[in-house]
Amino acid sequence: MKTPKLRALLAAYAGLILTAVPVLAHHSFAAEYDSKEVTLTGVITKVEWTNPHIYFYIDVKDASGTVVNWAVEGYPPNTLKRTGFTRDDLKVGDTVTVTAYRAKDSADRVAGREVTFPGGGKKFAGPAAGGGPPSGYK
Amino acid sequence: MTIHLARILTIAVLSACLGLAQDSKPIPRTANGKPDLSGVWQGGGVSLYGEPGLSKRPAAPPPVNPPPKREPVPYQSWAETKSKTFTATDDPTLACLLPGVPRITSMPMPFEIVQTPKEIVIAYESFHAFRIIPINDKLQHPNDLVPTWMGDSVARWDGDTLVVDVTGFNDKTWLSGTGSFHSEDLHVVERFKLNSDDTITYTATVTDPKVLTKPWTTGALLRRPANTRVEEYECIENNQDAAHMHLKK
Repeated sequence: MKTPKLRALLAAYAGLILTAVPVLAHHSFAAEYDSKEVTLTGVITKVEWTNPHIYFYIDVKDASGTVVNWAVEGYPPNTLKRTGFTRDDLKVGDTVTVTAYRAKDSADRVAGREVTFPGGGKKFAGPAAGGGPPSGYK
Repeated sequence: MTIHLARILTIAVLSACLGLAQDSKPIPRTANGKPDLSGVWQGGGVSLYGEPGLSKRPAAPPPVNPPPKREPVPYQSWAETKSKTFTATDDPTLACLLPGVPRITSMPMPFEIVQTPKEIVIAYESFHAFRIIPINDKLQHPNDLVPTWMGDSVARWDGDTLVVDVTGFNDKTWLSGTGSFHSEDLHVVERFKLNSDDTITYTATVTDPKVLTKPWTTGALLRRPANTRVEEYECIENNQDAAHMHLKK
């Protein structure tokens, strides 16, 4: 179900089609993730600064007090570095808040969007849902 | 009063000179007079243009020589039907396989062009791809080609435009979006035109008589990403997406 806002965004992207590129670099966002945004707050337990996408893992306590370890996928490392998000920004033990989109096939994996760091700073770890066409340019 | 007039005249003359300089800004050239395409280029992505709608950077100016508008791939009817049987999980690049030509040009990662009078080398960050392209006025390919992912490239200069002829492809890559397959008869002619605004207008004309009803043209505007060098992209290192997406099938 596309919201009017998302439609407008997609229309805006249609105008950019000549330079539009796959934002997750090598795979389709829409095929893997939901477009509804969720917010998770948790403690970083592990960072994989790897290609083709980074992952970091956060322990998130749910309403019943159960801790679930969520995997958060982001842009490729070089893309992050070039946009000012460095490997040192993610420190094991830090509590971060992440806006994200849930994987369609997994209860505990998301595509990360905006990370809020302990000092209050914010950076984008990955694309907005619908933020560009999938892995091709059709 | 005289000083004031002199100031006005100076400003007027300087403005005229600057205007003239902008209009006729020469493109950089190599010692043999060809346009100098060397350097790092990129076709798109957040590291080039910033976050869509949210970037604090000034918007890129409109190009002086925009690439052609991308049209749908003109498939023969059987091929159109086949094309629709594919999904995003079938994308060869999902498994970190080479994207082929022209698809690689628009990947959101930089590539470097190294230019000599005898050959052009393109080193792509994406998928560790490289192309060594001899300059050969007859556009003659080797006669021992075995189909490959990136094909075989040869080039010639058509005036100030570098024309690259690519053939010898396998039938495993996609031309652009989901399901845009082709046959081993794929033939791509790329044109790289360096513009006065320090952009390259890239166009690729794709023919494949077994699959398409007519040639298909696609393009990209290449810009120089600021403070960027081509770095490593070891795609297979932690490629969880293929497994995640195939689990769903």
